[in-house]
Amino acid sequence: MKRFFYFTLTCIFLFTATALAAKPQPKVYIKKLKNSRYQLIVDGKPYIVKGVCYNPIPIGQNHEYDWWSDPNKPWLVDGKLMQEMGVNTIRLYQGHEDPQEVKQVIRDLYQNYGIRTILGHWLGFWEYPCPLYGDKPFQEKVKKEILEMVNLYKDEPGILLWSLGNENNYSFSGQVNSWSSDEIDKEPDPATQKFMRAKIYYSFINALAGEIHKIDPNHPVALGNGELIGLEVAKQFAPDVDLISCIIYRGKTFGNLFNSLKATFDKPILIVEFGADAYDAYLKKEDQNMQAFFLESQWRQIYENLAENKEGPGNCLGGAMFEWTDEWWKHNENDAEAWKAHDTESNWSNGSYYFDIKAPKNMNMNEEWFGIVALSEEIADGLNKRIPRKAYYVIREFWKKPDLGKDKKRKVNKK
Amino acid sequence: MKKLLAIAVVLLVAMPLCAIAQEQAAGQPKEFVVYKDRGARENHYTPSGWMGDYGDIKLNDQSLENPHTGTTSIQFNYSAKKSQGQGWAGVQWQNPPNNWGSKKGGFDLTGMTKLTFWARGAKGGELIQKFVVGGIKGTYPDTSTVEMGPVELTDTWKQYTVNLAGKDLSYISGGFGWTTTADLNPDGAVFYIDDVKYEVDSMMKPEGKKKESMPFYVYSDRSSASNHFIPSGWIGDYGDIKYDGVFKENPYLGDSCIKVVYTGKASQGARWGGIYWQQPANNWGTVDAGYDLSKATKVTFWARGEKGGERIEEFKVGGVMGEFSDSDASGIGPVILNKEWTQYSIDLKGKDMSYIISGFCWATNIDVNPEGATFYLDEIKYE
Repeated sequence: MKRFFYFTLTCIFLFTATALAAKPQPKVYIKKLKNSRYQLIVDGKPYIVKGVCYNPIPIGQNHEYDWWSDPNKPWLVDGKLMQEMGVNTIRLYQGHEDPQEVKQVIRDLYQNYGIRTILGHWLGFWEYPCPLYGDKPFQEKVKKEILEMVNLYKDEPGILLWSLGNENNYSFSGQVNSWSSDEIDKEPDPATQKFMRAKIYYSFINALAGEIHKIDPNHPVALGNGELIGLEVAKQFAPDVDLISCIIYRGKTFGNLFNSLKATFDKPILIVEFGADAYDAYLKKEDQNMQAFFLESQWRQIYENLAENKEGPGNCLGGAMFEWTDEWWKHNENDAEAWKAHDTESNWSNGSYYFDIKAPKNMNMNEEWFGIVALSEEIADGLNKRIPRKAYYVIREFWKKPDLGKDKKRKVNKK
Repeated sequence: MKKLLAIAVVLLVAMPLCAIAQEQAAGQPKEFVVYKDRGARENHYTPSGWMGDYGDIKLNDQSLENPHTGTTSIQFNYSAKKSQGQGWAGVQWQNPPNNWGSKKGGFDLTGMTKLTFWARGAKGGELIQKFVVGGIKGTYPDTSTVEMGPVELTDTWKQYTVNLAGKDLSYISGGFGWTTTADLNPDGAVFYIDDVKYEVDSMMKPEGKKKESMPFYVYSDRSSASNHFIPSGWIGDYGDIKYDGVFKENPYLGDSCIKVVYTGKASQGARWGGIYWQQPANNWGTVDAGYDLSKATKVTFWARGEKGGERIEEFKVGGVMGEFSDSDASGIGPVILNKEWTQYSIDLKGKDMSYIISGFCWATNIDVNPEGATFYLDEIKYE
């Protein structure tokens, strides 16, 4: 009898162990390590996102240009250059109306160069009229688009993760695309109004994350956010997102970003947009050294905060630089003639990019000059010739041998 | 014999080396004078760099009235009339004169470990916001900036020391300086300075970054020595803002409070405005001068609106990014002010306040205050 009992127990144990072992791990998932450190795992291996934001608009075109159907396939030229640099991920802000073309881009980059894709969605943020996140029909419309996107591309081997929204949280205070609802309008206190918007928006994101997880357990869902603003509310109402994908422009340092997130909303962070322009608005000339200096410093901080580095909070998964190529249309998007010129006028001011902050009116940020590669008016293979800037080589070398500080001699294992 | 020869050779080699070392030690000056007496040959710098409300300053470099040593001291008369509308003023001793970093000059003061000077007020109680060594920027920048203050002067001569141990003094063109504000000295200040010099003192040790004790005031009262940060960072439509840091009607505590009038006229076309309290004045992350406020868990302040209903979009601490950025930021808002004094609190838990150059800030805009806004602030402090 005793023997039978032990036999049964052993069988149960073996069955359970086998069943557990057979349960497949998601293709891409976030592993939580000790002390709330996080690691992105892809195909069973740790993966540091070494990314770039990708929107290859040629000289003379604007954001409406359909590069997806460009017969010269710019992503093939770019993918090769990216691979040589060490880029393993691109970030696309949103897909395109023709899913076959989107699939082709994702496949070409992955199959030819091993480059994966973060696929984003604006969540209707730039639609007219302004986004009404408290409006059920609007929510349903966006939800339908999101689930279609996930269903269409979830089986593409090149997909890395989904990123929902960009800087939509800036609408809570009405800074951008102000929106409201009857309930919010009745509230007299503006701080409470702001909270109500955040609650509605993040609850919606949470619902989307839940729906995505149901149909696609293989890819994490990121909450796109400008800085860390509003995340104390997201903590309450969006617990089901897997990570935060932040847009950060803080010059040479991310400051206390990583610890601050840990204290606010303990989720891993992917800095999905950061960078520096390559034009000195004060001296009025291109300055590739300046761009390379900022980017190297930013990557150093990203690496200092990866799970592998025991000295940091360990909640960073990597980043995606803004951006791969210059975009010549950005300074004056309504003037087709201006798209043909590489405009040197600054669009905004940011003191943390301090080399050229003494430019007139402190306007030092040159939106058309953020490319890791510059565009030439010379045409090669039907495309504007790509000319890698100094940052291309500096970051390539950093990724090969991530030196986190001469004094500390800290190194992170290359992945 | 071999041993003796070896000793002799060692001695022959070692003796001249010792002699050189002694000579070098003897050649190293023990002090380096900034100012001793008017016209003294030892003076190395000139008080030529007048800053801020320079029209408020009168200098008498041959004051015979009770010098500390010698025959003269330097008398400063700061009227606090805000002649240039800055609310602060100061004087920098420079080499060569009038050098704001555009010319080569200065001295290599490596080896000096402190700067000492003697100062007294005409009445006692005069407040010098800070004394400074170095800090000149420009094409030929000083290699260090060291500050001390605020200092409340006595009516008798007193010696003050600025610790320079561990500082890079290899190029110093701004030998010494002082700044103060009209808020600290609403009725002006007359004070004297004498015997300013760098010295070698082996007892001086490098100072670690000091964690400031709490409470740490941004603003307590109009002329309080405990005030830190300067309301110098006017942003957006700065022409729409009037600032009075010595407003005496109905303060929350003490004898004065801050009155701010935001007219909402979009003078510069921005349609918004605000003020940053900075350390030092006008520091947008260009000067390495942050306070370590790590002990703080919150910032509290009292505010009221003239009518009630004025809307401030944000009250904030930190958040300025530059070469020397604030280590973190935190804020509250929008806030609709009451007519009565109300206390507000900015939570700092989990924040890194180890390096703060931007002690406090408010910002608002026309859209939410179409007729402008008048409001009052008092007792702004880190706790």
